[in-house]
Amino acid sequence: MAAAVPLQESALLPEGLNVSFKLLPAAIVSAMMLSFLVIGFIYKVADTDDMWVAGRSIGNIENGMAIGANWMSAASYLGMAALIALSGVYGLAFVVGWTTGYFVLLIFLAAQMRRFGKYTAPDFVGDRFNSDSARAIAAITTFLIGFVYAIGQARGMGLVGLYIFGDPGIPGLSGYQSMMILFMVITIGYLALSGMLGATKNMVFQYLILIIAFLVGLYATGWAAGYSTILPQLEYAQLISALSAEFSEPFVNESYYLWIATAVSLAFGTCGLPHVLVRFYTVDNERTARWSTVWGLFFIALLYLSAPAYAAFGTDLYSQNIRPAFGDPGMTSAAADVIVVLATQLSGLPSWLVGFVAAGGIAAAVATTAGLFIAGSSAISHDIYANIINEDASQRKQMIVGRLSIVALGVLTMAAAFDPQAPIAALVSYAFSLAATVLFPMFFLGLWWERTNRQGALTGMITGLILWLIPMANEGAFGIVNGGAGLGIDVIATWMPAIGSAIVSMPLVFVVTIVVSLMTDNPPQETRQMVRQCHSPRPMAQDRTAEEVVARRTDDSPADD
Amino acid sequence: MSDNTSHDTRPDGGVPGDVVNREQQTDYLQTEINILKPSTPYMRDHLKVIWTGFTVWIFTTFGPVTATVLAPDIMTSTMPVLGFPWHYFGIAIGGPGGSLLLAAWYARKRDQLDEKYGIDHSAPVTDPGGQTTAADGGEEA
Repeated sequence: MAAAVPLQESALLPEGLNVSFKLLPAAIVSAMMLSFLVIGFIYKVADTDDMWVAGRSIGNIENGMAIGANWMSAASYLGMAALIALSGVYGLAFVVGWTTGYFVLLIFLAAQMRRFGKYTAPDFVGDRFNSDSARAIAAITTFLIGFVYAIGQARGMGLVGLYIFGDPGIPGLSGYQSMMILFMVITIGYLALSGMLGATKNMVFQYLILIIAFLVGLYATGWAAGYSTILPQLEYAQLISALSAEFSEPFVNESYYLWIATAVSLAFGTCGLPHVLVRFYTVDNERTARWSTVWGLFFIALLYLSAPAYAAFGTDLYSQNIRPAFGDPGMTSAAADVIVVLATQLSGLPSWLVGFVAAGGIAAAVATTAGLFIAGSSAISHDIYANIINEDASQRKQMIVGRLSIVALGVLTMAAAFDPQAPIAALVSYAFSLAATVLFPMFFLGLWWERTNRQGALTGMITGLILWLIPMANEGAFGIVNGGAGLGIDVIATWMPAIGSAIVSMPLVFVVTIVVSLMTDNPPQETRQMVRQCHSPRPMAQDRTAEEVVARRTDDSPADD
Repeated sequence: MSDNTSHDTRPDGGVPGDVVNREQQTDYLQTEINILKPSTPYMRDHLKVIWTGFTVWIFTTFGPVTATVLAPDIMTSTMPVLGFPWHYFGIAIGGPGGSLLLAAWYARKRDQLDEKYGIDHSAPVTDPGGQTTAADGGEEA
């Protein structure tokens, strides 16, 4: 099987990590979560106007930080350094894929999306392709992305939670499982609270806390262990030659093809992720949309340029203190997933500082999971239930369906994260393959080729979903096929690995969508005009969508058609 | 009126002022959008920037790792001063850094394009349509 990093262990207990209840770190985690809520509450009070309209006055730098906060999940905070520590140069495909995608998003989608004025994937797809079925498929995809993405977050919460709170000794559950379930329950509670408090406004604060926790940890570790002084992001170079060849030698862990497949999948997946899209809703015009993407990439790069340094420090400290990180048995994936915390601990820093770093990891996981669950549940309650199943649904009924779907997402995630078979970053990358395959082609063609029509989009998205499932089944992801053994077809495992399947399936979806669109009718005039409105360089009013502009024009000159 | 009427069917503009004039008379709601066939002067200029950026992006993103396959010995040698192996530096720092610089470059280019065509995003837009000129060129800018 060519999937990355097949390491797994049944107990999922990171070796070397000091697992016990720690009062101060526990207090820091609680304080951090609480402060997110308090800040949200303060914004809520300060802002009596309609939250959304007021929110649109957010500027470049603020929105850039919000983009960063939105982006930083357990996969960035913990998983990135983990993969670099475990898989060396292959792990860098994640650094590259998760940053460079923002440039593609910027040049092809950001400003046009802002003008189109629809910010959830189901809304965009449903309105652009005039189809409730397309809306439903996009909603199901959004739900699936939320679920798959959250599994990696749950794993991160469980592992770091184990460090902070220790093993509570619940019969029948391992320490990891108890902590994972505890934090998923906390997340759902947090979500209920933050939903009421309008948490979207406190993302600047969230970003600052997370980046400070990560960088303080890195600087302190580098300093305490004597690796670095003022610029660990460059100074870890001195360490590379001392580390085992697996850390830096190219293609010893995975092939060149898998590297490219992973990077492509992650970069284009970035452009198709529903929760990334929403960030363009809060800016006043497309110029701000552009510049805040630039700032967002800058704020993300701060973390991503630091992660390899953390990985290098962690790998070296692990080898010195526990056992050689590479070779047999080497570092387990559970230890790698907490390498950021482990490195800080092994360098002999006080436990409150280790706790602060760990708290950042948990906070990143909880906040991202909350955002994903909101997107997933609104896809079900708003786009599928209220729009398709029960068009007369009352607000109350919609809310009940929304809450039920959050619980469903939570239960599904906990079940899948009970015994996760891959590291955090690999789990999350399945969601990127899905976004790159099903949603990115719809956004791209929908905005850049007005001829794309309903039939093309429907066929394309269904093809995409099937193509995404093939490698997942082949590799038995989440234990769904043959109890996790999968179908094990070598050709597919080699050329269409689940972790980077979009390299094959995304171009296929493009071709299918284009061919079917060409074989069927032109989309209606109003739809094509909406696309055109997205490309006009002329400013448009803040609270207006392309649809409204077109509707207004059509009323003015009905003879146009 | 046919739906893909465009005022500009010539492959390139004449003097810049001319291009700007024609752009200002363009009604985007009557202009076909196809990424491979930009139909207004502005979109042509814009897509030139986009494709240039995208091409450079392919090199900064996938170039270092590909070079490592092609010339492993050169790429794994150590850089002077910094001490990184070249391939590690190119991938871990060149990739994200390249995209960041490209992003800033693109956003600046777009601002310059707006300036060239006299588009101002700083003033609040009150005209709900955002379209100022009639499609049939009734107004000269």
